[in-house]
Amino acid sequence: MTMTPVVSVRDLHKTYGKTGQKQYEALKGISFDVETDEFVGIMGASGSGKTTLLNILATLDAPTSGEVEINQQVLANLKGNQIADFRAKQVGFIFQDFNLLENLTNYENIALPLSLQNISRKKAQPEVQRIAKQLNIESLLEKYPTEISGGQKQRVAAARALVSHPAILFGDEPTGALDSNSARDLLEMLNTINHDQQVPILLVTHDPFSASYCQRILFIKDGKIGQEIKKGTHTRQQFYQAILDTLGTFD
Amino acid sequence: MLNKLAFAGVKSRLKDYVVLFFGLIMSSAIFYMFESLATNKAFIKANAQQITGANFIFLFGAILLTIITLVYVFYANSFLMSMRRHDYGLFMMLGAKQSKIGQLILVETMAIGTIASVIGTIIGWGFTASVGPFLMSRMIGNKLQHFNAFYVPAIVTTIVLYLILFLIAGIINRLALTKTSVLQLLKGDSQPNRPVLKPVSQLLQVVVGVLLLMLGYYAMSHVEKFALSTIPIGLVTIVLGTYFLFNAIFVWLILLLKRSGWASLGLRNFTLSQLSFRLHNYTKILSVVSILIALSLGAITVGIGMQKQVTALSTASEAYTMAIKNPSRHTNHLIDKLTLDTKVTYQQKETSKIIYYRADQFKDRPLEFTGFQSPLNSKQKNRLASPTYQNLTSTQLTQHPEKLMALQPNAPQKPFRLVSRTTFNKLPVHAQRLTLFRVKNLQADKTDLKHIVTSMGNPAVDTVPGAYGTFVLATAMFGGLEFMGFFLGIAFLAMLASCLMFKILSGAATDKRRYEMLNKIGARPSRLRASIAREILVLFVLPAIVGVVHVLFGLLMFKVLMLNPYYQIWLPFTIFFVLYMIYYIITVRLYEHIVLPKLRIDN
Ligand SMILES: Nc1ncnc2c1ncn2[C@@H]1O[C@H](COP(=O)(O)OP(=O)(O)OP(=O)(O)O)[C@@H](O)[C@H]1O
Ligand SMILES: [Mg+2]
Repeated sequence: MTMTPVVSVRDLHKTYGKTGQKQYEALKGISFDVETDEFVGIMGASGSGKTTLLNILATLDAPTSGEVEINQQVLANLKGNQIADFRAKQVGFIFQDFNLLENLTNYENIALPLSLQNISRKKAQPEVQRIAKQLNIESLLEKYPTEISGGQKQRVAAARALVSHPAILFGDEPTGALDSNSARDLLEMLNTINHDQQVPILLVTHDPFSASYCQRILFIKDGKIGQEIKKGTHTRQQFYQAILDTLGTFD
Repeated sequence: MLNKLAFAGVKSRLKDYVVLFFGLIMSSAIFYMFESLATNKAFIKANAQQITGANFIFLFGAILLTIITLVYVFYANSFLMSMRRHDYGLFMMLGAKQSKIGQLILVETMAIGTIASVIGTIIGWGFTASVGPFLMSRMIGNKLQHFNAFYVPAIVTTIVLYLILFLIAGIINRLALTKTSVLQLLKGDSQPNRPVLKPVSQLLQVVVGVLLLMLGYYAMSHVEKFALSTIPIGLVTIVLGTYFLFNAIFVWLILLLKRSGWASLGLRNFTLSQLSFRLHNYTKILSVVSILIALSLGAITVGIGMQKQVTALSTASEAYTMAIKNPSRHTNHLIDKLTLDTKVTYQQKETSKIIYYRADQFKDRPLEFTGFQSPLNSKQKNRLASPTYQNLTSTQLTQHPEKLMALQPNAPQKPFRLVSRTTFNKLPVHAQRLTLFRVKNLQADKTDLKHIVTSMGNPAVDTVPGAYGTFVLATAMFGGLEFMGFFLGIAFLAMLASCLMFKILSGAATDKRRYEMLNKIGARPSRLRASIAREILVLFVLPAIVGVVHVLFGLLMFKVLMLNPYYQIWLPFTIFFVLYMIYYIITVRLYEHIVLPKLRIDN
């Protein structure tokens, strides 16, 4: 089956530090694709370049060389305001530390990407309600982020990332600050969304349990993709075991 | 280790420290300048001859300036703390004892205060030496003798005051720190201030606020009734009234705007939330700033008004600039060089009881008069700016002999008689000349007029009849007032605007995270900038509007002192808005520099 991938990364390099100063090559030629219905995990030791990769994919940072295409859009071709607009429309991003604006209510936080696209309050309202219902946070909408738990915060953050129907959802260790129950809830929910709504997800994680929810896992080592394993027809339990094994041999 | 860390912290925010230092240096320079001028013995002496109560006025000014300096140092310090708190949190996390940090704060604060006040005093001395004499001679109308810009008591007062203020600020900072946890220091305040509508209490606040303001405005517009108690009544009612109004209306306004469709687009809702976030903090400073705006605008307006009024009043006081008896050729020559409006010479013969004039001369060139009578009615007040002159007929002259008698240089004045030319010539006394002239613009010709007085053998100006004498006396009287008004007004303005600036910038460090988040969500950088500009604009404009309303009412207080307190009011307002705009722009730039994320694709 051939589909155009949602994300296509070709020979990506990233070197930190200006020429002449101390330089560090964090990404040394990374290539991979993510298909429209995939739930892909990225694992690797601390400092291996996961966040760097995700930041480039989310247009928060520019690569030194190589090409990234998301939803048939070559990122390098985006100029000026297009970059911010692309971020607002095409990508959803959830972070380890939630990144919710504590001076806005949860409702306002979720609606923010829509108002950034100048979508009127009337049109935004049903969208926010829909996603809130899906993530089971309807009762939290009028509260402020400081008034809810970590797991609830991450749901709100996920709702904000998904509300504008992004082409892809990125997560940089979204379960990192959550207890195991909340983490499980979030992953179940991401899984459902990926499955039911065909939203592709790219998830960076340290945690093998979180990774076991993915269909495919890329292992990054020293700025390169070292290994790749697929869930295929295995159960999640079996896949979890396979991840642990790979991590054991990988380091 | 701590020192190294501390220094790194300073280095990374050099720009902000420069602003802080600059502000403190300017404030202490202004303070020194005021002290050295206003408390200078030479100045007081020169001034005291001409105006009693000058000391009181300057003392009042010094107290006001001290109060605003206190407020200023307080806000500058909270800005300093906001820059340092993260470092302090870090030190504490690294295991530094709280007492050690407390010591560090005190030392840092005192060091900054000492350096700033010493540099400020030196710069203030430079200011005083360069513009002081000019300023004074312009205002007082006389050159000051023995004026020395280096005035030890002023130096001592300035430095001691600043050291005390910084000591207090350091102790407050230290206390504040010990009450904050390490986590709070590192993260900054992130507790939202949920804006709530409490209709009853808010309505009550609005009513009380409006009532207080009305009382204050009423007192100020009936200053003749309340006399000296006007000022305390006005200050208390207006300060409280402003605070209540801001408190009630601000929340209400923000909530109203948030609910409107207008707020749902772009970052508007975020901007409003930012505003409501530290609402209570801002209510206080906005009230303070609006009062200070009113005070400084009022001071400048009154100051400028006084100057204009001196010229207008003296011009209108007499139809002639000077009346000179038997001017010498040299004096005559000097008179002819002036920009004259009119000049006339009458012959007179003086006996021990009576002065005789030639009726024919008064028929040829009638005596002029201004027609202004004190107290001035409002119609006359409006005409003051361009007075007209009328001729006195002989009958009128006999009916109003005082019009001519007032122009006789001798005291006591003698009655006069108009006689025919032949009778005049027959009188067995030596004929004298009475020369009267009027210049087009007193202010413009004041130096030349002074030369004329000198050429007459330098009599005391109040013995020279005419508008010029009034002008000189009035300049001396109001000069001190004008100087005070102008100087204090500008100083207040600069300080209040930078108070607001420091207050806003103090919050910037904790806002930084929010702007980073917005960037990640996909807010355009231009939108982030617009949001910042709008947020800060509101904080600048709100107190400005309230302050302007205050001053428009407050000026009513001066209607007993001044012809028209609102005369040429656009001038101080323009000065104010230009200065204020500059501060606004600087604040926005600095704020952007602090909060806008660097993380961006560099295409
Ligand atoms: N702005 C930067 N400037 C210089 N070097 C950087 C920068 N950001 C990251 N690096 C370096 O690049 C490498 C990859 O960093 P990255 O944050 O991508 O790692 P990571 O895989 O996300 O690690 P972790 O699992 O700890 O989050 C690290 O060695 C890091 O020190
Ligand atoms: Mg990372």
